[in-house]
Amino acid sequence: MIKTWFEKFADNTTGQIIFFAAYVVLTTLGLFLLSDSVTAFLILLLSLLILYYLKLNIKIKWALGLLIIAVLVPFAASQGSSYQSFMDVGTLVLIYVAMSLGLNIVVGFAGLLDLGFIAFFAVGAYTYAIFGSTQANHFMPFGHYPLPGDTFWLFIPIGAIIAAIFGILLGIPVLRVKGDYLAIVTLGFGEIIRIVLNNMNKPINITNGPMGIPSIEPPRLFGIAIQNASQFYYIALVIFLFAIYIATRLEHSKLGRAWKAVRDNEIAAQAMGIPLVKTKLAAFAIGASFSGMMGSVFAAKQMYIDASSFTYLESTIVLVMVILGGMGSIPGVILGAAVVIILNNQVLTDISNTLTQLSASGVISVPDALSPAKMQRFIFGILLVVFALYRTKGLIPHKNRVFNVSKLKREAAAEKNKYKDDPEVEGSES
Amino acid sequence: MLQQIIQTLPQVLVDGLTLGFIYAVVAIGYTMVYGILELINFAHGDIFMTGSFVGAGMLFFLLSIGFMSSVPSLILFIIIILVAAIVTGVLGVGIERVAYRPLRRKNAPKLIALITSIGISFILEDAVRFIAELKTGNYILTAPPMFQHRFVLNVHSVFPFFNNATFQSSFLVVSIVTIIMLISLDIFVNRTKWGMAMRAVAQDRETASLMSINVNRVISVTFFIGSALGGATGVLFLIQYGTIDPYIGFILGIKAFTAAVLGGIGNIRGAMFGGILLGVLEMFAAANLSIITNNAMDSGYKDVFAFIILILVLIFKPEGLFGKAAVEKV
Amino acid sequence: MNILEIKNLTKKFGGLTATSDISMSVEKNSITAVIGPNGAGKTTFFNMITAVYKPTSGDILLNGKSLVGLKPHQVCHFGITRTFQNIRLFSEQTVLENVLVGMHQRLKSHWVGTLLHLPAITREEEQAKVEAYKILEYVGLEDFVNESAGNLPYGAQRRLEIARAIASQPKILLLDEPAAGMNPKETKSLTDLIHDMRTRLNVTIILIEHDMKLVMEISDYIYVLDHGELIASGKPDDIRNNKRVIEAYLGKEASSLG
Repeated sequence: MIKTWFEKFADNTTGQIIFFAAYVVLTTLGLFLLSDSVTAFLILLLSLLILYYLKLNIKIKWALGLLIIAVLVPFAASQGSSYQSFMDVGTLVLIYVAMSLGLNIVVGFAGLLDLGFIAFFAVGAYTYAIFGSTQANHFMPFGHYPLPGDTFWLFIPIGAIIAAIFGILLGIPVLRVKGDYLAIVTLGFGEIIRIVLNNMNKPINITNGPMGIPSIEPPRLFGIAIQNASQFYYIALVIFLFAIYIATRLEHSKLGRAWKAVRDNEIAAQAMGIPLVKTKLAAFAIGASFSGMMGSVFAAKQMYIDASSFTYLESTIVLVMVILGGMGSIPGVILGAAVVIILNNQVLTDISNTLTQLSASGVISVPDALSPAKMQRFIFGILLVVFALYRTKGLIPHKNRVFNVSKLKREAAAEKNKYKDDPEVEGSES
Repeated sequence: MLQQIIQTLPQVLVDGLTLGFIYAVVAIGYTMVYGILELINFAHGDIFMTGSFVGAGMLFFLLSIGFMSSVPSLILFIIIILVAAIVTGVLGVGIERVAYRPLRRKNAPKLIALITSIGISFILEDAVRFIAELKTGNYILTAPPMFQHRFVLNVHSVFPFFNNATFQSSFLVVSIVTIIMLISLDIFVNRTKWGMAMRAVAQDRETASLMSINVNRVISVTFFIGSALGGATGVLFLIQYGTIDPYIGFILGIKAFTAAVLGGIGNIRGAMFGGILLGVLEMFAAANLSIITNNAMDSGYKDVFAFIILILVLIFKPEGLFGKAAVEKV
Repeated sequence: MNILEIKNLTKKFGGLTATSDISMSVEKNSITAVIGPNGAGKTTFFNMITAVYKPTSGDILLNGKSLVGLKPHQVCHFGITRTFQNIRLFSEQTVLENVLVGMHQRLKSHWVGTLLHLPAITREEEQAKVEAYKILEYVGLEDFVNESAGNLPYGAQRRLEIARAIASQPKILLLDEPAAGMNPKETKSLTDLIHDMRTRLNVTIILIEHDMKLVMEISDYIYVLDHGELIASGKPDDIRNNKRVIEAYLGKEASSLG
């Protein structure tokens, strides 16, 4: 009986819209009233996943989704004392989604396992950090630093371009190696970049070494300094939308097909005229640029960066997002990144805090060693293994594009067809 | 400048050999698994780390029951290293059973196997961390000193341009134990039935299985030996360097893998040589980088050199120093 | 007129000589077969033409221009495509997408244009899809448009390889054992297809094949390789009665008996 009810529901668009609207209104109100409740926050975010599965016109879905993330979530969360912390998590989700969309191009589309992906994020972050603080005075022969916060906006494309250049520089030698070796070489590159950033305080002080770069200028828009998470949220949102646009447009383009062809069979791809090196480099460069853009945002948001934010663990976390969501699947990767960040930065922290409180009040005793917030590696390790073993295609598996066969057939019949002896279109080229 | 470098050479050599022996044995674990499964077993570095913690745990346990005072430290050491080797050997076999074998059965892409091994590596690191933290309150352990007697290698009196080198008796223990392990492994692989089966499986798994070799058993044995050696080396690391944490396996693992690649992956003798070479190179870099670059770079960059060697070898000579280039069949 | 000239082509793998001193010339718009026992060096020969392997010595001339030293994708741009003996489809992509990949080098769109949503590119994509559909109709795969290539039955996969190859509008099409694993009915329709492609698509076809019935039926000219050497060449009738060819296939005794 439940099944038939579901089937009916799946066909009933109006019913779905009503249900969805009710859900969104209720959960928005819920968060609005219980403003500090993480659960309410998460239940509201769940509406996006529900939206994904509804059978609606894709444009309406996008409009509704945007309405939820750009208006309803910030509005509903704005009432309580956790507002900034919710928005901080939201910003991080957007940053990491963009990054994992970038890694998805490299791993999911082009099939190149990159274990040093965070390096591009670091490059973007350091680029703004150096020029957006007094750091650049140490080595720049001209100019006065920090550059004003108004220049931040320029550093988004600059971060993208510099990261893309690093992607190509890394790619040129790296692409001569294959498979497992590629993974370990990219890991090596990622570590090299981190170590170099961590040591480049002499002979010329470029990165301030292990001390990191403090007091990074906040971005300015129309003279207003952007300092709150709730403001950064919108910067990240715009870049996030941009990243989704690029990823989806490219997926079904000539380049996207070339990536997948290279992934599925390198030799056949070459035989079909696909230049291997150029195609792989494009994946590296475009994927890296997503990270570079978000790197600038990250540096501005944190106002302080050092090399310890860009470790192998971070690269792996981005990889977990892609694997968890589903390699090659854009909606999957978005979900994967959101789940990982929310788990890591919200849920685990909250559980840990609750446990600490309970331990302090003597209700239960949980040793600090087992505090969930410290169990990152364990949890991500389990996720990687479980998904690799039992759900290789991730939470939302990649779906091939479905072509409209009857339309193609109609159009093919209407045109002249050199592959067919058709009396009606006589005189077709031979 | 040159004089300064030459003076320290004997010490660099002693330290480099110590480190190199450790790399060599860990490298063998990578090379054996890669030779058979074509998989970089990312968890191997963490098996090494687990071995060092098992060793430390044993040491603390034996200390606490007062075993240490009644027995010479050499016996104590042999017990510890054997226990660590067996525990990690079994652990390696278990990991293979639980994580890699199902993937093999499903014929999963190599990418997936690699990702699984990264996952296992993370799980091990954290599992060891919280066990250590639960038991001792801190995940960084410092072992009670063993084999601390210092020797001075009086090179200066023979070759006046060298400085003297000093080493602890632990250096002797590390060297002797690794040499014993390396020689017995070499004999095992080249002279015994199991070793032959192992080489057969590495060369062609399908044909080997047609020749009634139980491939899964051979793979289990490979994992046992590789992991046991790795775990035993963890104990050596512990007595040589004293301090361990759950994350030592990562960097050391990559370096050991570099050593394996340097010697030609799948080639056990190559891995031994690669390990020793890399150890010496790294110590040389650590000692002399700031002298050579006029303080522009210091030993903070020493890991970079290992990675650069790794990348250069993989790009320009992926078959390693002693391997043959393979032609991909189309 | 000869479209392809092979001159003294030799390939050595270490000490092993895979092909030795092979020369041949292929007439434009002809169907040429390369036959020989297993391990004769036929696929190595194809791999050299398509630049998968670099010849140790010798030259390959397409309309007088040397192809040696090019990258595999450049050979495709010059107008040579191939199918593979051990099927190499893009198994995760759909049948139609496989054909679209075949068109790769003909499509002009640049990814920046794709991002800018240029109308010319949208139009080109639409046309490409329709043409890909026509090609699928032509090889008889129109019912599988949205199927993943890896899920197709064996015979259909071989056809898809051909569809993908002709999508690039090659001057020369190399078919590596196109009939392998096909039943007689499938082989028959493949034979028809090859015939038809030659006239309709104005393409020169070179094929490696073990099915002698098919080879004798469609080839204009046949080259026979054995142990990496060219042992005979000629029209089907000459080859059928060539003593060395029979020896190569059946051994010396057999030929002396016959």
